[in-house]
Amino acid sequence: MVAETIMTVEVAEASAAGMKAIGAGLAVGLTGIATGIAEMAIGPAAVGATAENKDIFGLVLLLTVIPETIVIFGLVVALLMIF
Amino acid sequence: MLKAKTMSRLLIAASKDKLDLVVHELYRHNIFHIEDFVENEDEGYEGFKIGMPLSGASEISSDLIKIRSIGSTFGVSKDASEPDKKSSSVQIAQRIEHELPEIEKEVLELLGEKNAIAARVREYEQRLSEVSLFASLPGDLSLYRDYDQCTVFSGHIPADVDLPVPNEKVFSGTISGNLIVAVVAQENADEAERFLMDAGFQSVAVPREDGTAEERVNWYTQEITRLNSEMGQVDERINAQKEKHAAFLVACDELLTAEVEKAEAPLRFATTEETFVAEGWVPSDKMESLIADIRSATGGKVFVTEIEIDFEKDSVPVEYDNPDLLHPTELLLDVYSRPKYTEIDPTLFMSILFPIFFGLILGDVGYGIILLAMSFGLRKFLTGDAGGQLLNTLRNASISSIIFGLLYSEFLGFALPWDPLLFSRHLNIGGHAGGHGPAVVELMVLSAWIGIFHITLGRILGIINHSRQDHGAHRQKAILGNLGWLLTMWGILVIIWSMAAIPLMPDFSGMAPVLAGLNMAGIVGGVIVLAGIVGIGQENALELLEIPTIVSHVLSYARILAVGLSSVAIAMVINYISIGLFIEPAMENLDIVSIIIIIFGIVVFILGHLFNTALGLLGGGLHSIRLHYVEFFTKFYRGGGKKYNPFGMKRKFTED
Repeated sequence: MVAETIMTVEVAEASAAGMKAIGAGLAVGLTGIATGIAEMAIGPAAVGATAENKDIFGLVLLLTVIPETIVIFGLVVALLMIF
Repeated sequence: MLKAKTMSRLLIAASKDKLDLVVHELYRHNIFHIEDFVENEDEGYEGFKIGMPLSGASEISSDLIKIRSIGSTFGVSKDASEPDKKSSSVQIAQRIEHELPEIEKEVLELLGEKNAIAARVREYEQRLSEVSLFASLPGDLSLYRDYDQCTVFSGHIPADVDLPVPNEKVFSGTISGNLIVAVVAQENADEAERFLMDAGFQSVAVPREDGTAEERVNWYTQEITRLNSEMGQVDERINAQKEKHAAFLVACDELLTAEVEKAEAPLRFATTEETFVAEGWVPSDKMESLIADIRSATGGKVFVTEIEIDFEKDSVPVEYDNPDLLHPTELLLDVYSRPKYTEIDPTLFMSILFPIFFGLILGDVGYGIILLAMSFGLRKFLTGDAGGQLLNTLRNASISSIIFGLLYSEFLGFALPWDPLLFSRHLNIGGHAGGHGPAVVELMVLSAWIGIFHITLGRILGIINHSRQDHGAHRQKAILGNLGWLLTMWGILVIIWSMAAIPLMPDFSGMAPVLAGLNMAGIVGGVIVLAGIVGIGQENALELLEIPTIVSHVLSYARILAVGLSSVAIAMVINYISIGLFIEPAMENLDIVSIIIIIFGIVVFILGHLFNTALGLLGGGLHSIRLHYVEFFTKFYRGGGKKYNPFGMKRKFTED
């Protein structure tokens, strides 16, 4: 007996849904890494600057979250893919 | 609202013998922001020198230092204490004269006693650690020293050894590093020492004590206990003194701080041999009463006048002019930068929009209630103006969160018993939620609309700011530039609408194509964009590079949906794990194991939601602030205004 892979409509649909989910996961995951890399440099500088001058805490907190836009775009893309 | 408090620039000049009267009056009013005089031969100020402190300044300063040092001994601080009642400053001044030396003497005595005891405790602890090393040594410690014919070796050694010379030796392996004490004849001392050194011997002298080591250990231990209890008594006496004098000390501190500030005020004035000139800022509505009071205090022998403000040169101090309701949001503005005097104060917009953004992101009744409780519960710990402002902001935000939670029909990730009145954010996690799933597209479009209107508002405010602050050709260019940005954004929108049908947005895609695939609306949009680009370019051609930020800034508002939805997802996952995976299956047949599993599930539920509350506070708060700071403020706000800091003090503990 030779087992043949048969591509039924159901399998194709399930596979497409799976690919979508993987794509969405990649969109969030990769942008998350990118945000992490970007914040990696800002974070220490922000902490250092705050140690020198406490008054700028608000400002550096803001600077630190600026790269979060990247992951937010990733999340938006992922949501649009899934829904 | 929308504008800083109107300020007037005052100039006060009088002869020096009126100096203290004027300073006293200014300090009492607590509204005069002194413009510090700098000796750089400004026009009209040639020959003026910085003034000298009032007489008595150094005595007051030294009294203040005494009081602060007593205060720090007692651990009394002005900021931490709340006044029961205000004391009269005359009374306090008398008490400073009569009682302060007495109190200082008492405190010094107590401190001396405490330090002496502490020093003795330290010394005894040191001795104790030395003696306890030799605790296993037999006989009196005095027997181990002062021999003419013998040498005593004592110290640590890695392992017991047999000396190659005649000796008496004690070895103990029970203490760390081992102990060896060996007595050898004088003539063999060198050889024994060499041998010991080779064996890794480290010399520790036998303490010069009398009695056996064990006796000494007991004695020192007892003494340390006794001294510590003595120390406790001294601490109690210090505490008693603190109770007795705390109110007096904080009142003194306040009174003397005020005196010192008054005495040093002339250092900020311009003076000549016989006269002085003080310049500063006063809120315009209070100017008349201040002038009248200065005149009456000095018997009219003073020259006070309002001088015209030169907006090019003067930096006018900025005091917010908002109703109490908007007061908390001023903190968020100060964190960024205080508005300039001539600029629009955006507190009003921010205090309306910040809670709305926060609610849109963290719209959950449960989390809202937790945060609301927090904003009241933390009031004990976060005192002071800024703390209060922060908690009030949190209170407003959490109320908005509860309202949006009702609209979204969410309670800790569960659905409330009605369908979402606004768009649904219920995800299908663990098969709990039914319905249509989240209305992601609609929420996204809503976020984009919020962004579009927020940015449009920002640009309009920018136009108003430029028309107020700038002059001539620059003014016109800046206004047209801002208009250009607005047109470009809306033009791009019209083009998008002409191409695709988007829910909740106008749809022009049904029109027939006219030119190059664009329909009429698309062409109109294109023309608007072109006009906008010309507007931007005529202000500064380099800014054309920034045009893509129009899209990225509007899309940035998608975080309202994204952060909110991720918070809902985390909440639902927590519910699914704790209830769906632990509690529900365990409820089916109850035994010891399943009860443990249920407890574990409850712990997961509580910890998970605490974690998500913190995340929601951080996410909702930071992202809402960020949308204001980055997307909104960059359109119109410059900031950098000088804080209005009047000369004087809000008195907490004393009164005249």
